[in-house]
Amino acid sequence: MAEIDKVDVALSILKIAIVVGALLNVTPIMVWVERRGSALIQDRVGPNRVGPFGLFQSLADAAKFFLKEDIVPLGAHKWLYSLAPMFGLIPALTTIAVVPWGRPFPLRSGRIFEPIVADVNVGILLIFALASLSVYGIVTAGWASNNKYSLFGGIRSSAQMISYELAMTLAAISALMVAGSLRLTDVVWKQTGYFVLFDTIKIPAWNILSPAMWIPCIVFTVAAFAETNRLPFDFAEAEAELVAGYHTEYSSMKFALFFMSEYIAMATVSALITTLFLGGWDIPWYNEPATFLGFLLSAAAFTIKVGILMLIFVWVRWTIPRLKYDILMRVGWKVFLPLAVINILLVALFIAKEWI
Amino acid sequence: MIEYAVFFFFAAIAVIFALVVILHRNPVVGALSLVASFFALAVMYVLLDAPFLAALQVIVYAGAIMVLFLFVIMLLNLQKQAEEPTRPVQQFVGYAGSAAFGIALVYYLSKYVVLELPASPFVADARTVGVALFESYIFPFEMVSILLLAAIVGALVLSGRGVQTS
Repeated sequence: MAEIDKVDVALSILKIAIVVGALLNVTPIMVWVERRGSALIQDRVGPNRVGPFGLFQSLADAAKFFLKEDIVPLGAHKWLYSLAPMFGLIPALTTIAVVPWGRPFPLRSGRIFEPIVADVNVGILLIFALASLSVYGIVTAGWASNNKYSLFGGIRSSAQMISYELAMTLAAISALMVAGSLRLTDVVWKQTGYFVLFDTIKIPAWNILSPAMWIPCIVFTVAAFAETNRLPFDFAEAEAELVAGYHTEYSSMKFALFFMSEYIAMATVSALITTLFLGGWDIPWYNEPATFLGFLLSAAAFTIKVGILMLIFVWVRWTIPRLKYDILMRVGWKVFLPLAVINILLVALFIAKEWI
Repeated sequence: MIEYAVFFFFAAIAVIFALVVILHRNPVVGALSLVASFFALAVMYVLLDAPFLAALQVIVYAGAIMVLFLFVIMLLNLQKQAEEPTRPVQQFVGYAGSAAFGIALVYYLSKYVVLELPASPFVADARTVGVALFESYIFPFEMVSILLLAAIVGALVLSGRGVQTS
């Protein structure tokens, strides 16, 4: 194999630092957005004491997590109980490695800076692989707590997650067929073009704007809600039925890790939806130049799109009631999976006739 | 140099977790250690220039099959059972048999193994695998899909037994 290039290593470390730093900071921001957003939807005020508009509420929450007593239930498995939050956090943090978050641009030395941590040939498969690994955190947490309610929550949630993984994968395949490659950078580059209607109107070639991709976009988004255990699919944490589901017996920092991994998974899955369907870092109707300014603008566009999607996550949480468990499983297998499969055929038809 | 370090590290992980699977009392810990072992194997595939296969290993084995194993283990609620101590004859035959098998395996592998990747530039990505599956290996592909269908039908029949139809 080739020798290791020191500048490459340094650039990779910088990229990892940027991406992981951004993801770790998502949690406090999303906590504030969720609490004020839910308050707005529910016609109340939300936290407004701890700083202007309650902006320092997240700091107060973090301090609370550090200072709370860490209770380990009697009979909990010694190792797995502590390892389970990490099983939840690791897939959420590492999936972002294959998502491109800006336009590549050449540095002064001629080297091209690609704002993606790992540009592998089979990028999307790594995302599916890590999404399948995220089931283990929940199942282990439910079992290791030595609590029947946690076990139920864990098993239910993992059954739901593996069901919706299928629909998610097949919906993503439609987006990949259009790009013709498994690499996420190719998917984004394909969406930087334009559809030309009637020889005059130029529409940005984002996948969400092409009719064959409406169904996969909806299926993928719904499956993303199910994968991250957000309402309307949060049976694992259903407060009314299961106390708090798989994280009932977790307190202080371990609960904070679960909390964080849920928000980070939400951010990662929003980044995925942006890359596959909303055009990634592409700014509509503007050909970003291959300069540092172009890179900054494209990274800002990516962040804005991901932010809008996360707002939609919060919005849906407080709008739609929780689905009953058997309905949830039935819809996942009998509605979304056939829709995703039929749409693969539809997209194949569109590609064969060169309408895409 | 770096790939030696990576290889030995992940090989050690694979072997250690495989030993945990066999030797630990608790089946859930065993299942999770098997997942870790599969993950280390996936890293081996990456070292052999086959990232597609590595991703498939994690998706299929570690992500789907082992989750199913864990479901069954957790739902069955297996307790640690006291086994009766094995007799000396059983122990001797067990150790001798495994040692003989291990020695034979190492001997034949060292005699016939190929130590280098094929000379011609080969690409092991999704496109070549897909083309090979649908052109050269189409018949085994269809046979495997029928086999899976038979397994699904069998599971449905077995689980439907005893259900009263109204």
